[in-house]
Amino acid sequence: MAEAGRKLSLAAWAWVLIAGLAVFELVAHPLIHAATPSDESWEAASAFVRARYRPTDRIVAAPSWVDPIVRSHLGDLLSLRIAAPSDLAGTDRVWELGIRGATRRDEPPALEEDFGGVRVRMWPVSTDEVVYDFVEEVQRAQVELVSADGSQVCPWMSARPARGGLGHGPMPPPEHFVCDPRRPWLWVGATVLADLELQPRRCIWQHPAGTDPVRVTFPDVPLGERLVIHGGIDYNSERRRVHGPVTLRVWIDDRLAGELVHQDGDGWSGIEIDTSELDVRRAAVRFETTAPDPRARLFCWAASTREGPSNE
Amino acid sequence: MSDARALKGRDHLIGAGLCIAYVLLLVATAPDLAMSRDESFYVHAAKDYAAWLAQFFSDPLSALGRESIDRAWAYNWEHPAWMKLSFASSWLAQKHFGLFPNESLAFRFPGMLTAGLLLWLIYAGGASLMRRQGAFFAALAFALMPRVFYHSHLACFDIPIAFFVTLTAYTYWRALADRRWVPVVGLAFGLALATKHNSWMLPGIFLIHFLWVRRDEARADRIERSSVAWLPSMLTLGPLMLVGTWPWLWHDTWSRLLAYVSFHLRHVHYTYEYLGVSYFEPPFPVSVPFVMTLFTVSLTVLALSLIGLYHRRAELRPPWRTKSGDMTGRKTEVLWLGCVLAPLLAIALPSSPIFGGTKHWIAAYPFLVLFAGWGLLAVIERAELELWTGRRWPSWAFAALCLLPGAAETAHSHPFGLSHYTPLAGGVPGAADLGMNRQFWGFTTGSLAKWITEKLPEGGSVWICDTTSGSWAMMQRDGLIPSNIRPASSMSSADIVLVHHEPHFNEVDYQAWVAYGSVQPVFVLRYDGVPIISVYENPDA
Repeated sequence: MAEAGRKLSLAAWAWVLIAGLAVFELVAHPLIHAATPSDESWEAASAFVRARYRPTDRIVAAPSWVDPIVRSHLGDLLSLRIAAPSDLAGTDRVWELGIRGATRRDEPPALEEDFGGVRVRMWPVSTDEVVYDFVEEVQRAQVELVSADGSQVCPWMSARPARGGLGHGPMPPPEHFVCDPRRPWLWVGATVLADLELQPRRCIWQHPAGTDPVRVTFPDVPLGERLVIHGGIDYNSERRRVHGPVTLRVWIDDRLAGELVHQDGDGWSGIEIDTSELDVRRAAVRFETTAPDPRARLFCWAASTREGPSNE
Repeated sequence: MSDARALKGRDHLIGAGLCIAYVLLLVATAPDLAMSRDESFYVHAAKDYAAWLAQFFSDPLSALGRESIDRAWAYNWEHPAWMKLSFASSWLAQKHFGLFPNESLAFRFPGMLTAGLLLWLIYAGGASLMRRQGAFFAALAFALMPRVFYHSHLACFDIPIAFFVTLTAYTYWRALADRRWVPVVGLAFGLALATKHNSWMLPGIFLIHFLWVRRDEARADRIERSSVAWLPSMLTLGPLMLVGTWPWLWHDTWSRLLAYVSFHLRHVHYTYEYLGVSYFEPPFPVSVPFVMTLFTVSLTVLALSLIGLYHRRAELRPPWRTKSGDMTGRKTEVLWLGCVLAPLLAIALPSSPIFGGTKHWIAAYPFLVLFAGWGLLAVIERAELELWTGRRWPSWAFAALCLLPGAAETAHSHPFGLSHYTPLAGGVPGAADLGMNRQFWGFTTGSLAKWITEKLPEGGSVWICDTTSGSWAMMQRDGLIPSNIRPASSMSSADIVLVHHEPHFNEVDYQAWVAYGSVQPVFVLRYDGVPIISVYENPDA
């Protein structure tokens, strides 16, 4: 009898365990579904942010996979520069629309509201003040393709639109500098790069042509206290880590001021050049890209002159 | 050996009922699913093959010439012909007799039929050994896996190969005890070979199992030993059927066979997101098939499978523990376990090409659910559910309870089967948090068909991202998308752009931003709150 009783209790446990698992799955499933914020929640949270939004604000999504939803509600407030930044420079406040308790920042926010599962949080931030954004000013630049025979000016023109697609790299904008129509990748203009972490980076496409530089010169640039430069290579080209380096040399009034050597695997990386000690406040700034082997060097950079940090 | 029960008419009635009911369910739900990338390629191939079949019946000599064969069979040469021939035959039947309400169903029906037959086979295999209740449960547990349900709709090879692998294993197991099944093993293996290369692992599994059985018999001093006749049957009939059903191999046979084998041994790697990392080259984490199984199959069924395995552990006794005079059998559980583990381990190998989708080891699941059938029966018997009440309904109620999670999840997964994850992963949003693959093949565009049609009432163009032009054309022929809404080759010239969300498709998202100067989608298709497709509208359209 004792043996029979022991078996029965073990068996009852297995039966209850399996039934419990089934009930868990059955209950968890609608609970997960019910925890999904409704469209109304997203709209209310977006309206709250929209009413308080300033042009120097940044809006982020948490977790990052809800970013398309946030952009569908507030994307009209977001320029490409804000949506695909190098860093937080020029930002006074960060708004976060988050769900499921996710957050991008650890510190307590200055403001927090919940809208049916969509949590809005805001932080004032202290960042660099952007004096001059090279990406936004690219149309003002002079672009040349330098060779042993001299230099050839690359004209700013409307170009045939690219098709887009997986593995096609950054999209050329409708207007850009065209250096060599026979080499369709040899153009210069503002685009958005998917960096090694697949993050969007608003930047100037300046694919190297080889050891002869592709040169982009910005005249009369207000220098500020420092020149901050970031650069990276398209995800599909960089992720295999098999190609050679790209060098971006920066010249201020014909003096070599800095050099960013990008190796595969560096990701979106950068340098900072101190311009506070220079005896000029405005200067011509020149960016030259070279590569020993230019194949698959889909290089793109962003730079700005800065002061600060700014405080709200 | 008589370690199995003979199937009766009633068993086949139940199996046929399962088969018919499942096929009807698949037919009813198919219009919700646009064709996937791979389906569109196989449809293209099937049409070529159908043209060749027509030529063969009208002018056989010319059809058998190299020029005709190369013209018709060069497309999609990297996959054997059997299922594509089935798709072609079904399509020809549609053209001549109008059997199906739309063209996509004509191509998909043979695949659906193999799904239904697989349920029948799971039931038959289970009922040969266990109480009908366990076999019935096993068949339904398989049918009610969300990813199985999705793949069962398709004009692809994954469910068909699961069927032919299971069929070959079943016939092999039968042949061990009854020589009348020996030629059938060869035929079944031939169909498996002619369906997909997953079949290559079957002789290895069977050999290990057979050696196990023979060693067991030898140590038990049995005079009568299991026959190895199945092996020559497989090795002769199998390749003959592969070549016989695949005209591409009728010229340059060796070089084309080598190219076929080489293609799969050096397969390209797909980019696949797993636990927050987009893998694009080996090694893929060993855990992938196991974690994906854990996250996509009902936990209740998995637990019952483990209980079933534990319950049948005596049958897994290694041969060196067998003593003279011990009872021996066909070691069915050893065979089943081999059929569960081999597909999972093949993908888990660090050197395997990166695939990722559960479809690549779906052939393991029929055997997994058979263990679940054993597990269910073990729990019911040990709990003495029927003894308590003196009635059978409590055990059936318990079985139904164990099937309900799979049923609920499958119902909810449709038509986003590849995006679905079980509660163990936290559901769809939980999987997104974990960085699990969200979709592939571009078929989710079908869920936007109504929206696109309403958005472009006068017609227009759509940049269709991961959806193929063949899939789009099929949606038009099926009447889901008007013919005046065409796929655009360039984002800039399209009225709207679709972006299927997977991390490595982020670059496409950014391309749309630059093309339209805006980061704001006009619509985001979501599944349980998780973005599946973003739609951008051309401001100049």
